[in-house]
Amino acid sequence: MVEHLVDVFLYLPIQRAVIACLLCGIGCSVLSVFVVLMKMPLIGVSMSHAAFAGAVLGMLLDINPFLSGFVVCLFAASVLGPISDRTDMAPENVLGIMFSLLMGVAFLGMGILTRTKAGALNLMWGSMLSLSSTDIAVLTVVTAILLCFVCLFFKEIRSILFNRQLAGASGVPARLIYYVLLFLTGAVVSSNLATVGGLLIFALLVQPGATALQLTYNLKNFFIISAASGVGACVSGLLVSYIFDLPSGASVVVMATIIFAVAYVFSPKRRFKANK
Amino acid sequence: MNEKIIELEGIVVKKGRDILLDGINLSVLRNEFVGIIGPNGAGKTTLLNVIAGFERFTGTLKLFGQKEGWTRSRETRLRIGYVPQQLQIDKAFPILAFETVMTGVIGRLGFFRTPGREEKEKAMHLMEMMHVDHLSDRPLGQLSGGERQKVILARAIMQQPDILLMDEPTANLDIAVQKEFLNLINEIQRHEVLTLCFVTHDFTMLPDTMRRAVLLNCGKVVFDGDIDAALSKETLSKLFGYPMETFERDGRRFVSYG
Repeated sequence: MVEHLVDVFLYLPIQRAVIACLLCGIGCSVLSVFVVLMKMPLIGVSMSHAAFAGAVLGMLLDINPFLSGFVVCLFAASVLGPISDRTDMAPENVLGIMFSLLMGVAFLGMGILTRTKAGALNLMWGSMLSLSSTDIAVLTVVTAILLCFVCLFFKEIRSILFNRQLAGASGVPARLIYYVLLFLTGAVVSSNLATVGGLLIFALLVQPGATALQLTYNLKNFFIISAASGVGACVSGLLVSYIFDLPSGASVVVMATIIFAVAYVFSPKRRFKANK
Repeated sequence: MNEKIIELEGIVVKKGRDILLDGINLSVLRNEFVGIIGPNGAGKTTLLNVIAGFERFTGTLKLFGQKEGWTRSRETRLRIGYVPQQLQIDKAFPILAFETVMTGVIGRLGFFRTPGREEKEKAMHLMEMMHVDHLSDRPLGQLSGGERQKVILARAIMQQPDILLMDEPTANLDIAVQKEFLNLINEIQRHEVLTLCFVTHDFTMLPDTMRRAVLLNCGKVVFDGDIDAALSKETLSKLFGYPMETFERDGRRFVSYG
């Protein structure tokens, strides 16, 4: 079995899949820290559907799906940002409408798409084993930019995560950082359409952060634990999918949920509260 | 010393058909301590939010002698501190009390500069002043409401603002903690050069150093002047449209329904 696995790693598509797994795990789980701590899961889900709808439109119009996905994401971000800034309406409703509209657009696009339906299905579920070197390059660049952003602006990010209004009021460029974050979410999500797909990426935008929330009060460790659990979910998911011949995206999501469940059960925070 | 630091002229805030502020005129001098007092829905918080830059408005607002709109430059924002009503925070949120105080100085430092020993010592000093230094390495979400509010106050002072805005900072705290918090505000007023605006609906719990009261009702200023005159039987009865009695005992003021 082990020898067999080692053999498998010599194939180029498998190597690419492993690299993509690592990058996807890191990128999504870093974003999940923001999604979980800023309580914006609906923004995460809307962005992932925006990328998906954009990519389907891209296939229809013969444009690179990553590019068109990214453009629609930017558009979604520029609508979502101001909406979430407003205090006079519940953003949940607007996000709900937006999210279903984007989903509708995506399926409409898939309906019209007559030729390469398989390609569109790949955008939905991801296909770790058919990644091109361009996919990998885009993933690498996007993930690297995200990591640099988090490292360089860590102290600003901490104050914004704590309270966006207070951060802005005390001179932190909260709005600028928030918008950069939304755009990076768009980039990460659209570049990961090829790996885990537009439907399942949402799981990776929430579960790693939710896992870290069970385990630490230190923000640096929070990012590290989140990234570790994201990568863990991706790698173990890929392994399971290979061994049992299952769809890779679905296996990744199931593994992410199992990791979260384990963290929840063993959470020191919950034990602390129970003793109190 | 008589420099006008906050000037409002004909400030109006509308939300749909509701008029939240209806032509507010008000000026506050440097180092003054103003209480903005009124019943629920009077527009107190809206007024504070206009000054803080959280609320769109029409009319003229001048801060530090400069005309300001809804959006602010970083320099102006640095000079205005804000203490919100009881801050809601997830129990599991990954931030310690000390880190919370430190977030106050991030805007002042700017990009790519990490807080040094000087800032850390100042944060610790402020936490001592607020009697929360023993909680510095506890997660903020696990502190009690009063402790959390003291940490937030220390955070606001950490910013070294010229104006400190407080929006019912003692709401939902029990009486002993409220009293302690008010004493801390008195302490700050004595130590720092600060212009303070304090929003409250509870005029039985006011800091001693607050000498001026602005009474609001239905988006209008109905009284502006000395605190003792403000809390007279006549003024309060008119403000609430309900007969009120005030009396003093051991130098403390009490208000009751007539």
